[in-house]
Amino acid sequence: MNLLESVRVALEGIMTSKLRSFLTTLGIVIGIAAVIAVVAIGQGGRAVLMSEMEKMVTNIFAIFVDWRSDKQVTGREFDLSDVAAIKDKVPEVTHLSPVNQIMSDIRGPKDQKLAQVIGVSSDYSYIRKFNMKEGHFFTEEDDAGERRVAVLDEELAVQVFGRASALANKITIANTPFLVVGVVAKGESALGFSENPRLYIPISTWQVMFNSQVQELEGSTSAKENVNEAMGQAVKLLERRHQTPGKYTSVSMEQEMQAANKITGIMTLVIGAIAGISLFVGGIGVMNIMLVSVTERTREIGIRMALGATRRDILVQFLIESIMLCLLGGIIGMALGAGGAYLIAKLAKWPPLVSWWTALLAFAFSGAIGVIFGLLPANKAARLNPIEALRRE
Amino acid sequence: MIKVINLGKVYQAGTQQVVALADVNLSIRPGEFVAVMGPSGSGKSTLMNLLGCLDTLTSGSYQLDGMEVSGMSDTEQAQVRNLKIGFVFQAFNLLPRMTAMRNVELPMIYAGIAPRERARRAVQALERVGLKERMSHRPSELSGGQIQRVSIARALVNNPAVILADEPTGNLDTRSGEEIMAIFQELNRGGATIVLVTHEREIGLHTARIVYFRDGRLVDDENVSAPLDARELLNANMPAGQSPGIIESGEECG
Repeated sequence: MNLLESVRVALEGIMTSKLRSFLTTLGIVIGIAAVIAVVAIGQGGRAVLMSEMEKMVTNIFAIFVDWRSDKQVTGREFDLSDVAAIKDKVPEVTHLSPVNQIMSDIRGPKDQKLAQVIGVSSDYSYIRKFNMKEGHFFTEEDDAGERRVAVLDEELAVQVFGRASALANKITIANTPFLVVGVVAKGESALGFSENPRLYIPISTWQVMFNSQVQELEGSTSAKENVNEAMGQAVKLLERRHQTPGKYTSVSMEQEMQAANKITGIMTLVIGAIAGISLFVGGIGVMNIMLVSVTERTREIGIRMALGATRRDILVQFLIESIMLCLLGGIIGMALGAGGAYLIAKLAKWPPLVSWWTALLAFAFSGAIGVIFGLLPANKAARLNPIEALRRE
Repeated sequence: MIKVINLGKVYQAGTQQVVALADVNLSIRPGEFVAVMGPSGSGKSTLMNLLGCLDTLTSGSYQLDGMEVSGMSDTEQAQVRNLKIGFVFQAFNLLPRMTAMRNVELPMIYAGIAPRERARRAVQALERVGLKERMSHRPSELSGGQIQRVSIARALVNNPAVILADEPTGNLDTRSGEEIMAIFQELNRGGATIVLVTHEREIGLHTARIVYFRDGRLVDDENVSAPLDARELLNANMPAGQSPGIIESGEECG
């Protein structure tokens, strides 16, 4: 008997009990759909995450005190002279700023608000590539003169000024009056992280008002390729200057992107593995029903043997039936999974990513399940004794 | 056509050995119509299974169409069943979800005959048993007599060396049974070799030769001098309409 006839005979077997065939393959349908959807959603989500992160500034880094270090924190880990020294000794570092933060009361003509008061140097607007909505960022002279000037972010400006323009108006920070010289336009943060309302003042002014520490450093390099190298050199320089090896730690946007990439990858893998297990369970379901089917069709097998079917013919018939059942489930599952992924991608405004290799892999996998879980029942059928099989009611 | 020498069959039933057949010698020439008779347990079903290559003999020799069958592999036996033997069963054994046509095609599928040739021969075989018009019906849409005629068509279709019929009229009413016998007689007149198992002497008398079995041995070999003619009986004694309607029992037919 040739393959085409075997396929036709197997199809007849599947079509004689459509409902049962469908229920049998439902496990495969769900398994394949889950795998396809999870992988597609995972890849789509990752692509979105990465493209959003690409949009952000990627050549920046931060250096701060390693809280895991067992050394005593003195508050003297950084000082302002470090900034000049690093910029001098590490040429890749194009901009570098101290960063101090404190929560404080901000009062404007409209309202009063608790906000993050950030002390930085004028370099900071270059590091963060700020987009100014009004006015300008404070200058080096403002910093050198310890001037009471402030740059608000857009959100805070609206909160304390209402519709009135903030520019060239007064606010108070912890009851000290400041002149607003600029408003930073709200940055796009597609990842949905909302930051506290904030404002920036010169680091020198900050130190006069609050304390003389420097909490951390933030800088940028000429290109994202040399971020990690420059950051490492800066940390080494700091350790030399302060005689405190192992006290600093640093992070770059590049590293954070890699970490995020890795996390989404692991998550996809884990959920994919769970989906894979459901596929395995589906395979066992197919085997179970095929075993029942062989028992039920013992008489049929006996008749076929009496008419000249060899044991191999019977084996092939049941094996093909199992493979076709699984492939059918695979195709339906693929359609469902791709549809589900497309729907979710559309709702989440992600690109729907059902790659060819996932579809092919799922197809091959469901076929393989058909072979693996079909072998046992098919073998059982092929080994029947024709006389006993014919006698069976 | 069939030559059986000192054939024996012993079954292992638990720890006991059951002798089903012993020292059977039987020769059937091409074109013969032979009935095998005997009470139940006499070994006639075992003989049919052995002649049909469904079972392997314990001792002796069995030659079918000039070939020694004992000692053949499973696959070779399957090929012999496919090409040399046509089965007609008491329980019909058609596949219930397939049309008459497809059922008749089955042996040819296993013989590897191309679809067009297959269809041609299936239609021809169904025509011979007078069921060409019913070829797209499923067994559930046919009467018992019609089902048995489909299975005769199926038995014929590979031009076998011998047709083995095991109680072919056992599940049929008298008239349908007589019709089946008429078909067998016509086939036999056309040259077919037929071996038929029955426990009804009336049926056996339609053949030219009756062999009797008792306790696993061939005990008598009788030539029927004037076999009954089924067609004549149908015309004379059982005109249509007087026949005891078709018995549609819930009998398994596949």
